[in-house]
Amino acid sequence: MSKSELSSIVETSSDTAQLISTDDASTSNCAQLNNLSTDQNEDDEIQGSHGVRRRQPVQKIEPGSLNILSAKYESLDYDTCENHLLLDEERKRGYTFVVWKDIARWFIVLLIGVITALIAFTIDICIEEFSNIKYKQLKKSVDKYILLDKLYIPYLLWVLTNISIVFIGSMLVAYVEPVAAGSGIPQVKCYLNGVKVPRVVRIKTLFVKSVGVITAVVGGLAGGKEGPMIHSGAVVAAGISQGKSTTFNKDFKVFEYFREDHEKRDFVSGGAAAGVAAAFGAPIGGVLFSLEEGTSFWNQALTWRTFFGTVVATFTLNFALSAYHGHPGDLNYSGLLNLGKMEPFSFQFYELPVFILFGVIGGLLGALWNHINYKLAIFRIRYISSPWLRVVEACLVAAVTATCGFLMMFLLNDCRPLGEDPTKVPLQLFCADGEYNALAAIWFQTPEASVRSFLHDPLGSYKPVSLLVFVLSYFLLSTWTFGVAVSSGLFIPNLLTGAAWGRLLAIVIQYMLPSSNINPAKYALVGAAAQLGGVVRMTISLTVIIIETTGQISNALPVIITLVVAKWTGDFFNEGIYDIHIQLAGVPILPWEPPPLTHNIYASEVMSHPVFTLRTVENVGHIVEILKLVSYNGFPVVDPPLIDEAEVPTYKRLRGMILRSQLIVLIQNKIYNENANTTWSNLNVDMNMFRKEYPRYPSIDELDILDWEKTCTIDLRPFMNPSPYTLPHRASLPRLFRLFRALGLRHLPIVNDVNEVVGMVTRKDIARYRVWRHHCHMGMEELLLSSEI
Amino acid sequence: MDNKDVQSSLTGSGKTAEFNFLKSNLLNSNSASDTDISTVTIRNKHMLRYVVLIILVISTYKSLGSDLEQIHPVLKYRSEGYINSYPEECFDILKSFAEFASNFTLCSILNARPIRLCEHCVEHYVRFHDKYNELIKTVVNGTSCGSLFMSHDRLNVVKNYHDGISGLWVGGNCNDCFIWNNGSYNAKNDTKKFYKMFNDTMECIVFNMDFDNNIVCEKCMQNYLQLDEFYKGLSKDGIGVDSMNATRYIWSKNLNCCNLRRTPEVIFLCCTGIISFLPIMYYLAVRFCGPIRDLPNVLKESRFKQSILRSINRRSD
Repeated sequence: MSKSELSSIVETSSDTAQLISTDDASTSNCAQLNNLSTDQNEDDEIQGSHGVRRRQPVQKIEPGSLNILSAKYESLDYDTCENHLLLDEERKRGYTFVVWKDIARWFIVLLIGVITALIAFTIDICIEEFSNIKYKQLKKSVDKYILLDKLYIPYLLWVLTNISIVFIGSMLVAYVEPVAAGSGIPQVKCYLNGVKVPRVVRIKTLFVKSVGVITAVVGGLAGGKEGPMIHSGAVVAAGISQGKSTTFNKDFKVFEYFREDHEKRDFVSGGAAAGVAAAFGAPIGGVLFSLEEGTSFWNQALTWRTFFGTVVATFTLNFALSAYHGHPGDLNYSGLLNLGKMEPFSFQFYELPVFILFGVIGGLLGALWNHINYKLAIFRIRYISSPWLRVVEACLVAAVTATCGFLMMFLLNDCRPLGEDPTKVPLQLFCADGEYNALAAIWFQTPEASVRSFLHDPLGSYKPVSLLVFVLSYFLLSTWTFGVAVSSGLFIPNLLTGAAWGRLLAIVIQYMLPSSNINPAKYALVGAAAQLGGVVRMTISLTVIIIETTGQISNALPVIITLVVAKWTGDFFNEGIYDIHIQLAGVPILPWEPPPLTHNIYASEVMSHPVFTLRTVENVGHIVEILKLVSYNGFPVVDPPLIDEAEVPTYKRLRGMILRSQLIVLIQNKIYNENANTTWSNLNVDMNMFRKEYPRYPSIDELDILDWEKTCTIDLRPFMNPSPYTLPHRASLPRLFRLFRALGLRHLPIVNDVNEVVGMVTRKDIARYRVWRHHCHMGMEELLLSSEI
Repeated sequence: MDNKDVQSSLTGSGKTAEFNFLKSNLLNSNSASDTDISTVTIRNKHMLRYVVLIILVISTYKSLGSDLEQIHPVLKYRSEGYINSYPEECFDILKSFAEFASNFTLCSILNARPIRLCEHCVEHYVRFHDKYNELIKTVVNGTSCGSLFMSHDRLNVVKNYHDGISGLWVGGNCNDCFIWNNGSYNAKNDTKKFYKMFNDTMECIVFNMDFDNNIVCEKCMQNYLQLDEFYKGLSKDGIGVDSMNATRYIWSKNLNCCNLRRTPEVIFLCCTGIISFLPIMYYLAVRFCGPIRDLPNVLKESRFKQSILRSINRRSD
């Protein structure tokens, strides 16, 4: 049996001929196919037939390339499997169940909002309290030893504190859960795009992430807690909606009906949005974030539910924070990152070019930031792979960050009189009595507070030289920090850098136009937006987030102009930082739009050709053999051929689709018969059997199947999806792309004119066509696949 | 440092003329405090001159106004709804309220720089405050006097003056300097102590002014440090913020007594050098000493094209 299936790889058949002959009658596809067939060796082809850039095929690839897709990633399945079991379930449950499920959905979204906000609250309070203790102690030590001419003691104390705190976090990240490193936004983005990133939504990840972000920020690294908050929200959503924890091996027997990729992904998008809302106090920004960055499949009901979740998250956090800070009941206490309420600043027509200029600068700096970080990431991939090396690196970064801060305070004597600006830990250092060191004030507080200082302090608060030095060092530190084995985000460091250079430019403008009255807050805000936009290249959601954190809708126009210009400028040079990291990881992510000018690429080229099919009633031994042989996850179920000739394998008519996970559950539960002809009874089989194992199914090697069982047969018809989406082999790439992305498919069988399976398209087949556009050039290239990155 | 306070209180009372006057006064005082403290008295004389000038202007205007009344018709009736006249009691209270307000204003402007407002004007303030309360609380014929004069027009003069003066008082944190007992007030012990220490220190500095800076520093160090410690120990920055700030300024800027802090810190610089050098070492070591790993292989993709080609090849063989 299996022989005939496998032999389709090597043998041509009447069907192949048929496929070509049908094309003959039609359009240009024939010419193209003929073209291809005249090429003696297709491996020599460097320039693809439609201007698709295809690189010289290589056997080995250098790690750290942007042009490789990893074959390890699997897709999520957004499509519901309409098999008999589902029909049975629907018939039994009726409309009550629909209503009940809807109520449960809203309840879960409520829970997601509340729990995400509580996690945010815990992280926030921990960071605040620990930082307070740390900086108070350091201040004491500085005040004491500076008079004794032993400044190295507080300095070394600071370095050691930072190193030991960061050490804890990076040990957790490097050894316990590497996927918790960084901001987590790239991973969440991939997940929402429909790629299953392993371990990204586990409870262990949540734990490591939360502790990691506290250690990173308290350890004084140039990182923020906003990105990790978004990831935490996603994990919370994935956890709660499933009603069970695989890590703790605990099944709460609730919400079983949400145990499928479709529902889980919807909840995760809501969770990520709630994370944004909690992080920035921006409910609308959260909804738009998950709309812009992630979810490829979107519907209105989901938007509405997500919005509910974000609002709940925002106000729960407000409530908790207000209670903690002694104003219980005040629901208006804003989120984690509070840029402070800004006065609506006035701007004139002639200022728009200034905003554009800021956008250009932000784009350029952002592109540079991304480039440096990209180079560092490549270096890390190639040379720093073992966990202990990553821990050492994180500790070194912590030490250098402290050194940088201390040197700056030591060398730049920027003194300010006490009492004008709210400084928590004013450090006198070499300043006169009654004054404090302005740079020490910036370094001796959490980065969030520093952003606020830059936005709200009056114009003369910082000397231009100190600002310049600060911008330079923080720019480099933040790009160096992102990618180290700690979990910290890049929002705050970039906002800080941007606010600093925005303020610097405000001083320059004031210097050039002494008569005008420059509002430093305006330029600092625009600078912060430009820098962040230049790095992450988000547009809609970032604008709304900034508007919401500053509480001013009237600032929308400058912010939008700046962000758009920053994005365009940055895109001229490279991708956004998240996309760079996604590409480095080789995740097959689908962009918003299909590649342009690709209507002449047909499904017959895109698809993987020899398809491994199963018959409607299949031999267990054969199934096990196929599952062990290939790594595919979906198998078309076909009619048995009329004549079972081993020599002439034919394409067979499509009957349905079945997933590897379903097959494994069937084999695991031994739902098979010794005799193929006995009548099938599936009284004790229902959907919950499949849901129980979700999302982690055992691999085929873990099942022990006795020899006698291999002769049994399974009737796949009740379990398979009887009406999978299919496309004819002459469908174009944009058509495939749209169907795939809009419906969130995982497998798309390609059929010929008589509904016989000729190929299979999966996400990787489509994602390998990637458009690049930099430096005024644009093109498409075909990526290589590798299973080892 | 007190620029802001004055500005805010002035915008409260909304008098630009006064503002300009004060501003110039303030500028004078700023430049004066830089040079010497002995100019304080001179500055006060300056201010007196201004005040006298203002009073002159006001009185001439008043006499001018009464003259005008005879020539041109003016709005004569002043009463609620311009028909019934105000109760006499209320008008008396209003008159004394106006008087106290102007007394306090005069006092506060005279004590603007250096800020001695709290200690010197407290009497005026208390009288003003009490009169205001009386104005509000006194009820004649079922209506309180306050309601007769307040919130009836756009200017709302009485309320605005009260708010402005209260704002000045609160802005200076003056209430913290005194212990309040049913309208009577006493300077707090802390306040007295602070005044004493402050006076001692300043006396010491002024007395030793003629000598070299270093000698002043040495001699007054004890006093200054005590004052500084005591000031730091005070709960709120209410008492003598500005005096302290000025003293600190004189101490560290004019007398340069803080230069003891600045030292080369060689060991510190060496430490930073070593630590900044570590990452470079680390990266070089990792780059050149790491194990050489096998590069990942490219996955062979199986495509329709290839299988056709293969089959064609086979057929042609």
